[in-house]
Amino acid sequence: MAVVAGKSSGNIIFKVLAYTLCILLAVISLFPFVIMIINSTRSTTQIQQHAVSLIPSTYFLSNMEVLLGKSFDPLKGFFNSLIISSSSTICTVYFSTMTAYALVAYDWRLRKPFFTLIMCVLMIPAQVTSIGFYQFVYKIGLTNNFLALILPSIAAPTVVFFMRQYMIPALPMEILQSARIDGAGEIRIFNQIALPMMKPAMATQAIFAFVTSWNSLFLPQILLIDTDKHTLPIMVSQLNGDIYRTEFGAIYLGLFLTVLPVLVIYFLLSKHIIAGVALGGVKG
Amino acid sequence: MKKVLSMLAAMSMLLAMTSCGPKDDANTDANTDANTDTNSASSEASKDDSGSGKKETLNIWAFTDEVPGMVKKYIELNPEFGEKYEIKETIIPTTDGAYQPALDQALIAGGDDAPDLYAAEAAFILKYSQGEASQYAAPYEDLGIDVANAISAAEIAQYTVDIGTNPDGKVVGLGYQATGGAFIYRRSIANDVFGTDDPSVIKDKIGPGWDKFFNAAEELKAKGYGIVSGDGDMWHAVENSSTSGWVVDDQLVIDDKRAEFMDFSKKLMDNDYHNNTEDWNDAWFADMKGEGAKGIFGYFGPAWLINYTMADNCGGKTVGEGTYGDWAVCEPTVGFFWGGTWILANKDSDQKEAVGDIIEWITLDTSETGLQYMWANGTYNPDSPTKDCVASGVVMAKSDGKVDFLGGQNMFDVFVPANEYANGKNLTPYDEKINSLWRDQVRQYSSGQKTKEQAIADFKSNVSDNLAIEAK
Amino acid sequence: MKTKLKGVSYAKWGYIFSIPFIVIFLLFSLYPTIYTTILGFTDCKGLNNTDWHFLDDPFANFKTILDNNSFKTSLKNTVLIWVLNFTPQITMALLLAAIFTSHRNEIKGKGFFKVVFYMPNIITAASVAILFNALFAYPVGPMNDIVVSVGEFLHKINILDEPTKPYNFLVYKVPAQLIVAFIQFLTWYGNTMIVLISGILGISPDIYEAAEIDGSNGWQTFWKITVPNLKTVLLYTLITSLVGGLNMYDIPKLFNEGGPDNATLTTSVFIYNQAFSGNYLYNRAAAASMILFVIIAVLSAILFWIMRDRDEARFEKEKKMARREAKKKEAANKWQ
Repeated sequence: MAVVAGKSSGNIIFKVLAYTLCILLAVISLFPFVIMIINSTRSTTQIQQHAVSLIPSTYFLSNMEVLLGKSFDPLKGFFNSLIISSSSTICTVYFSTMTAYALVAYDWRLRKPFFTLIMCVLMIPAQVTSIGFYQFVYKIGLTNNFLALILPSIAAPTVVFFMRQYMIPALPMEILQSARIDGAGEIRIFNQIALPMMKPAMATQAIFAFVTSWNSLFLPQILLIDTDKHTLPIMVSQLNGDIYRTEFGAIYLGLFLTVLPVLVIYFLLSKHIIAGVALGGVKG
Repeated sequence: MKKVLSMLAAMSMLLAMTSCGPKDDANTDANTDANTDTNSASSEASKDDSGSGKKETLNIWAFTDEVPGMVKKYIELNPEFGEKYEIKETIIPTTDGAYQPALDQALIAGGDDAPDLYAAEAAFILKYSQGEASQYAAPYEDLGIDVANAISAAEIAQYTVDIGTNPDGKVVGLGYQATGGAFIYRRSIANDVFGTDDPSVIKDKIGPGWDKFFNAAEELKAKGYGIVSGDGDMWHAVENSSTSGWVVDDQLVIDDKRAEFMDFSKKLMDNDYHNNTEDWNDAWFADMKGEGAKGIFGYFGPAWLINYTMADNCGGKTVGEGTYGDWAVCEPTVGFFWGGTWILANKDSDQKEAVGDIIEWITLDTSETGLQYMWANGTYNPDSPTKDCVASGVVMAKSDGKVDFLGGQNMFDVFVPANEYANGKNLTPYDEKINSLWRDQVRQYSSGQKTKEQAIADFKSNVSDNLAIEAK
Repeated sequence: MKTKLKGVSYAKWGYIFSIPFIVIFLLFSLYPTIYTTILGFTDCKGLNNTDWHFLDDPFANFKTILDNNSFKTSLKNTVLIWVLNFTPQITMALLLAAIFTSHRNEIKGKGFFKVVFYMPNIITAASVAILFNALFAYPVGPMNDIVVSVGEFLHKINILDEPTKPYNFLVYKVPAQLIVAFIQFLTWYGNTMIVLISGILGISPDIYEAAEIDGSNGWQTFWKITVPNLKTVLLYTLITSLVGGLNMYDIPKLFNEGGPDNATLTTSVFIYNQAFSGNYLYNRAAAASMILFVIIAVLSAILFWIMRDRDEARFEKEKKMARREAKKKEAANKWQ
């Protein structure tokens, strides 16, 4: 893959524009994080005076004290969140790929209606179905149970849709056929041939799924009423809910602690986004 | 079409049987689930305090840690109670609107996980004491409390009783605070403008009545001060001094005093009498420190505003720091009350006696070991000794409301009479929503984007759109 | 006849692999959905109402909702805010995806940029709302500090007659809508970009190599190769953005409660308010949900139709090829 064109002036203009755009966007995108981190070192009064500052202050420890003093147990919240988010991420990604595989690799009579159904589910406004969802969960006795948040993630229409769209051009039927000729069973073909080929798509969706699950507040808040089962976002929203004496420094610290694990997971998975695991190689 | 409808009908019957069906079903269901839960919980518990026998669980629901904290305090003071019962607290903040849906579902579902004792604040207490959810609230007398006598013996502020009385005339909820309001002003500004900081003089400057208030605003403006921080400060006074609430006989009513607020807001804005802040925003807090665009004379508020909000935001912790010590309270322009927390018990609770003991201690006990005495005198939490007005007149009479924040003034001198102005007759279960719609439109008018008529028309249409409550 | 039978022999795996999705869907999605649908035709309102009935006029709730001024406003807002955020979002995402996958113009640190651009999506809507509220606070706030100091400067050099006063961004409609649209853009452009990049990376490099040998430039490559081959993923982006955009809830609700004067009231916020804020109008909320659902479905169908031909043709072709392969394999098996 030799570079065909030389260093023309067009290239330079392109690069200048590209870098300017990238740096500008990077500044805007990092801005919320910088504010969050800096504000977590500032006192409530300082924040109320100037909500945004680029100069860190010295109240990090006292904010931490306030945070821990308020029946805020970040470690417990962290583990609860981690269990829920990682389980539902695995469920979402694995089963959605499987469903998409069923839609792409096989020709069955109800395939089209099934896909239409998935698309319909995708479009249903979520605010009101939550009433029925809550009632159902209550009835089968899954309140205060992580399963109520994990199991539904097996049926994730958006992810199925993405996997299907990605799979159509990226999964060559020839390979499946040759595997069949080699005598591999369908389940093995899926797990050992199709799944690895979907890696970049799965990594992308895994991040999205993890972030969504980690940040979700409304359902966990009404389903997990037991304090021992609270997730990090619930704990932070409780800090915010204490209307008489809002501790802004502690809130920002809480927000930062909430986002930190996601950042770590994200950086771990991001190599797939950066490298993109050359699909072409498999396709060869 | 017919086919579809009949299918829908069939499905709905199926649903009705499963969802809204006989209560017993739901209860037994929930019971079996809950049992497994409590079993595991109690087995854990028995591991902790080995051999103390099986404890009964009390479920406490609240929107801050304040009420659960009180229950813990009660157990701390009564160890024998702690041997019999353990508490499980559920705290869901009112922000994001999650507390009420969750509480409602838990009350509806019943079972062992249902709340035994729950808290409600002024913004939505009526729903639980008189409105749709009042069916779940147990009358205090069923908890083994001799309510009528206890209330008169403790001289509980009448408005808290009115608000906590259900449609059958039985008391189902009482508060521990009294939230009658006063005008809280800066002494230094009073001296500068009016030549004195004496509450008995200042109260005649800013009231009674809004005409005097605006005269004072003009005087303050001449010296470069604003009278209040934003129109929201005035709203709390106007709202709870009005004759009727937002909804009367299922129709929207705009009380004259509330309608007048539009003019007040516009007047404040056009004459630059305030810093145009919104309550609970940063700029509003900044004015408590005296760091806004111009110095702000005062705030309308009850005792809790002083102790929990202003003291924490005045920029200091002792006299001389920030505005600490530079404040005083006097009678407000109009009588009003603002906020408060009520305690209710679930009528299906298995632990009525225990719940009754706790509730009596919080709301009706006038002794020096009762909650209210400690709450009023700053001995409840030695680490942060804040004083607050409480509901019982008996307790107030023997309590000392001297606070350094107010330059040593005894705030109870002003707040106790203020509680008489408070009445619970103008609350409705829809206040939170309607207030926000109203103030939105008032802001549109005062910022000059709409005519008054247009704003009122839009307000009525928004209320009807959102709540299906039509204007009279 | 024979071929058909052979094609069917693998079909059962299509069903088998769909079982987990279908089971969970039936359990956790179908019941709430049907429940909602049915409520739309009833008089079910109020807390724990166990005694509700079907209305004599089954569409009464739907008529009420369609007559509801706030609902109409909310639809307009939703579409407006979606267009305001999606147009720059997809443009930027496509542009960035093209830059980062460009074979001839390697951008240094593109790994860093890619990672950073997605980061706003990681923060909870609640945090973003708190932050932007603080940014645009009135009368003192970072944005107003800028407004005031710029005004002061312009006044000093005699462009303005008097220094500007702080501007209350959150009381005026247009700024509020723009801010919400900007927040939506900021939180989602990285997400869209990543989806598009992963789509582009799924395109076989062979095609690009061929194009380069043919001497096409970057611009041509992008429009003639990248975009057409990206169609399936682009369709995904369009549909999910449309659905997500029309269901937009978090930011408008948390940023300013749908205000000022209903300017950021989106349809989902409206629906939530119907059901939960005050009067428990479940039936009206359900009817509004159904109307919103129909609107989304129609718009999605249009999108599918527009993007349909090549996507489908390609799909059919692959299907045929797979069948042919299966036939071959079957035949091969027979002879073995």
